[in-house]
Amino acid sequence: MANGTWRIARGRSNAQLPLAIVVVLAVLLLLAAKAHLLPFDRARAAVTDWAQPTLQRMNAPVVAVADWLSGIRHFFDVYSENERLRRENAALRQWQGAATMLEARAKQYQRLLNSVADPAVTSVAARVIGHSSRPFSETMILNAGAKDHVKPGETVADARGVLGRIYLAGVHTSWVILLTDLNSSIPVSIEPSNDQAILAGDNTEAPVLEAVAQGAKLKEGQEVVTSGNGGLMPPGLPIGQLVKDGQTYRVALFADPGNADDVRIMDFHEEQMPALKPNDLPAIAAGFKPSPPPPESAVATSAPPPGAPVLTPPPGAPVLTPPQRGVGVAKPDAALKPAGQLPASNGLVTRPAAANGSSPVGVAQLPPSPAGGHATSDSDHRTGTHSPGGLVKNREHTVRSPIEIERAREKAAMAREGIAARISPSSAAPKGLDKKRRTRRANSGLFDDDMPPPPPPQYDEQDR
Amino acid sequence: MVVLPTPVVAIIPLFCALVGVVVSSIPLSLSDGRIPPPLFALMCIYFWSLVRPDLVPPGVVFVIGLAEDLLSGGPPGLWTASFIITYILLDRQREVFASLAGWAAILGFAVAMLIASVSAYGIGWLWYLRQPPIEPLALQLAVSILFYVPVGSFLNWLNRRMVGPMRSDF
Repeated sequence: MANGTWRIARGRSNAQLPLAIVVVLAVLLLLAAKAHLLPFDRARAAVTDWAQPTLQRMNAPVVAVADWLSGIRHFFDVYSENERLRRENAALRQWQGAATMLEARAKQYQRLLNSVADPAVTSVAARVIGHSSRPFSETMILNAGAKDHVKPGETVADARGVLGRIYLAGVHTSWVILLTDLNSSIPVSIEPSNDQAILAGDNTEAPVLEAVAQGAKLKEGQEVVTSGNGGLMPPGLPIGQLVKDGQTYRVALFADPGNADDVRIMDFHEEQMPALKPNDLPAIAAGFKPSPPPPESAVATSAPPPGAPVLTPPPGAPVLTPPQRGVGVAKPDAALKPAGQLPASNGLVTRPAAANGSSPVGVAQLPPSPAGGHATSDSDHRTGTHSPGGLVKNREHTVRSPIEIERAREKAAMAREGIAARISPSSAAPKGLDKKRRTRRANSGLFDDDMPPPPPPQYDEQDR
Repeated sequence: MVVLPTPVVAIIPLFCALVGVVVSSIPLSLSDGRIPPPLFALMCIYFWSLVRPDLVPPGVVFVIGLAEDLLSGGPPGLWTASFIITYILLDRQREVFASLAGWAAILGFAVAMLIASVSAYGIGWLWYLRQPPIEPLALQLAVSILFYVPVGSFLNWLNRRMVGPMRSDF
């Protein structure tokens, strides 16, 4: 038989041609797949969707047998197990109360600090209907798909920690690429030092830690959590613990894909705040009519809003008009957030101006600068822009030399002193100034000690 | 022996291989996914390409490899190329392999499996541009050789009952 077989195989002289074609096709297939030119993933998802009922039916007896074996093991300690669970439940209820309280407190602090909102995480519960451990892939199949709003890229975790990510979502099923898979690579953070690294799977049980930050001092037993960098996963999800492996570190995973049954598929997205309408600005809501936005060059010298106290700058006063210095003009700008609106979003950290020493729109509480703007400290100039809404936006840094800063400080101090002198009729010159400062004050041209005090602010009845 | 129509006989090797692909791709594992499933598809290719090479042309091997790639979740084309490389080597050394019997036949399959694994490892290395772990492949090699004992017997029974020898063997 053997000789006959061989003879026939050799006898097919034209059999070499299909073989050559098939070899070329195989090479082309590899290249096309590497270039993602073939809809292989869609075909896989379709096949899995088609086979889902069968998979679930085949999985049922396996799960039943596993449950039965587990039941036999725990049959004799049901009473003690029940007692233990009661105690654990009571303890967990206490923790639940504490967690709720702390969560509320954390949110309150976040509101006070005007911090960026935490990302919104929604989840879908799913059941594992299959594991696939191959030499080049470590995957799991879940019984939730696009009909359950599952999308590729979402995080999959069980009660113990992160298992992986969705990489293929069919209609009824989805494939999970496990953290141990060769293709898995996620940014992680090592607690408590908060060192950043990349966790890369290599088809072993413990993925390896790569790209560890220079100077990071790692120790065995440190906890590894998701860092949230790149918006890939929610931050802070537990992954595992560091284990030393020669010169490198690996991560012993908390979650075991082998016995994971029920998992959560987490959808993670940055919270989007609704667009701000002009009427949302407190000044407009309070009845002030917005004036048209002044031209860029006139921002520093534009008129104050109606109702604001009219303060005449002294003649010859230097105009301190860095572009960041705001003027009390309410400009309905959708990009600006009102002072009281919390939390901020879109990565723009907003701060109410009251916390920074500035006053809200149309109310002069601090001594105004000679240019008509509010007096602000140098730190304000360096950290951001005081918008008309009393907010800090466009965190641009203004680089100034120390001499310039010193000059600006002196001018601001002198301007404050001069205005205070004019507001107070009895103070012809501030007391306590030494001779040098008096001379400098006189030479500056800013202050006229003989100038009469400004008239009191005039308010309309409506403004009152 | 059951006499089947020729078209049915002709598709038996392909059908067996595809069933093997599906069975090995069923994501159920008694080892909680720690041991890879055996390569049933390669068992069929090895057996039928030695016993009835006329029923396993290169195109059939390509289709079987494609199915394995589609269902296994690995890099597309990896097992297709590995199966074709193995098939070429089997084709070149058919006289040697076909003369093996008993435990030697299992050894012959072990060699074929080793060729396929090494090919897959090399292609995987090129695909990922880094060295893949060797342990899962070694486990799959061992499990496949172990499973070839019953599967080979089953295929032999199937051949005797439904397919039969080639005309040239008479």
